[in-house]
Amino acid sequence: MKINLKSPVSSAVAIGIGIIVLAGYFIPSIKDIRFILLRTGLVLSAVALLVGIINLLTVHFKKLGADSENSGYSLILVIALLVTLIIGIIDMFQTYLVGKPNFQIISWIFTYIQLPIETSLLAVTAVSLIYAATSILRKRMDLFSIVFFFVVLLVLLGSFSIPPATLPFLHVIRDWILRVPALGGARGLLLGIALGTITTGIRILMGTDRPYGE
Amino acid sequence: MSATGFTGIVVVVLFVGLMAFFSFINKDQKTKNIRPIPAYDKINQEINVAVEDGTQLHISLGRGGITGPESAAALAGLGILKQVIEKSSICDHPPVASTGNPVISILAQDTIKGSSKAISISDNIKNPSGELIGITPFSYAVGTLSIIRNDNVSANIHTGWFGNEVTWITTAGERQSSSTIAGTSQLPAQAIIYASASDPLIGEELFAGGAYLGAGGMHQASISAQDVVRWLIIFIILASVLMNILGMNTFIEKILAGSM
Repeated sequence: MKINLKSPVSSAVAIGIGIIVLAGYFIPSIKDIRFILLRTGLVLSAVALLVGIINLLTVHFKKLGADSENSGYSLILVIALLVTLIIGIIDMFQTYLVGKPNFQIISWIFTYIQLPIETSLLAVTAVSLIYAATSILRKRMDLFSIVFFFVVLLVLLGSFSIPPATLPFLHVIRDWILRVPALGGARGLLLGIALGTITTGIRILMGTDRPYGE
Repeated sequence: MSATGFTGIVVVVLFVGLMAFFSFINKDQKTKNIRPIPAYDKINQEINVAVEDGTQLHISLGRGGITGPESAAALAGLGILKQVIEKSSICDHPPVASTGNPVISILAQDTIKGSSKAISISDNIKNPSGELIGITPFSYAVGTLSIIRNDNVSANIHTGWFGNEVTWITTAGERQSSSTIAGTSQLPAQAIIYASASDPLIGEELFAGGAYLGAGGMHQASISAQDVVRWLIIFIILASVLMNILGMNTFIEKILAGSM
């Protein structure tokens, strides 16, 4: 008879650790145990990152061989990953063995390659957001969408510092929107999210919701 | 024990009690006594479309991990992934999942393998799923675009922790004319989702997935428990306003400061 212990054991460990960590927030005497468990979780997360990168590399190596229209992107990803990894290892040796300043080459890659790319993408996000705001009425022509659209318009107009958008009443309206209905709505949403978060956590701690494994 | 610790224990015990109570009284109830949420109706509809057309669903789980405040959204996303995979057991192509967090990536792969084994649709070589797309916001968003632009993907379900980069993901789906169902627990991203997704999940709707996708009675019980506590909070807020108007707020503050 084959008994599958993996699922009940892993669930019991997950639930047990979850209960101890939760109790650590409320009972000061087991605070240290909570910190140890959380630190262990962080170390495991770092190992998971390594596993994730190996998985990413494997998937894109497979895509290189396949007849895929995106194989060019996969090739760039694999080359960039391997080059950065090799440079990182060389940098590490230079920093710890030769005594050069801290991770100079990797810092250069982040400052002059990754940062400009991400900043450019952030700039394009602004365009994407405007596109999303303007297309809302095309997607859903209901009362809430109309209110959403005009509130966005009013807040944007009230935020501009160029004439004729500098009219004082626009600033007053914008401030009122941000201070009263927007803040109230945000708090309402946060309360809902908090309730949802609590019930999700309790379901997982009770073992009735296991969004992992079999 | 501090006042916060005591309040926390009271809240947890209250929720556990309410969930157990509603689970018990709704045990034999066959019909769902919950308000309709169009986004979940759309997910069920899209699963049927994928089965009939031989297309694929794409589920992106965001960048949230399991050790921070974003963990609930990430776990809710994983729960939705599990239900969608189980419901689409007769699809020609299993759903594809993507994530921007390594821990969630491992959990997603575990979920897919576990469910696929149960429903005999394991096809991991042809359909690598649950992969880590990128760990920074924009590398994740840009990496996800290639999956969204796949012609075989009929609908995109984005449930998990997203930031402002979600606009890239949702607008890409809309441009592909594929349905986009999205929900997150981050407020600015919720506003973006409301404007750019065809079927947004607002506020706590993200956490209600299990009840609408048939995950079991405890999910419905937890929604009823939420409703009870919500009414309790509304009552407390209204009572506080009334006491403030009547000038009793300082009296309550003195009691709280003295006893806790």
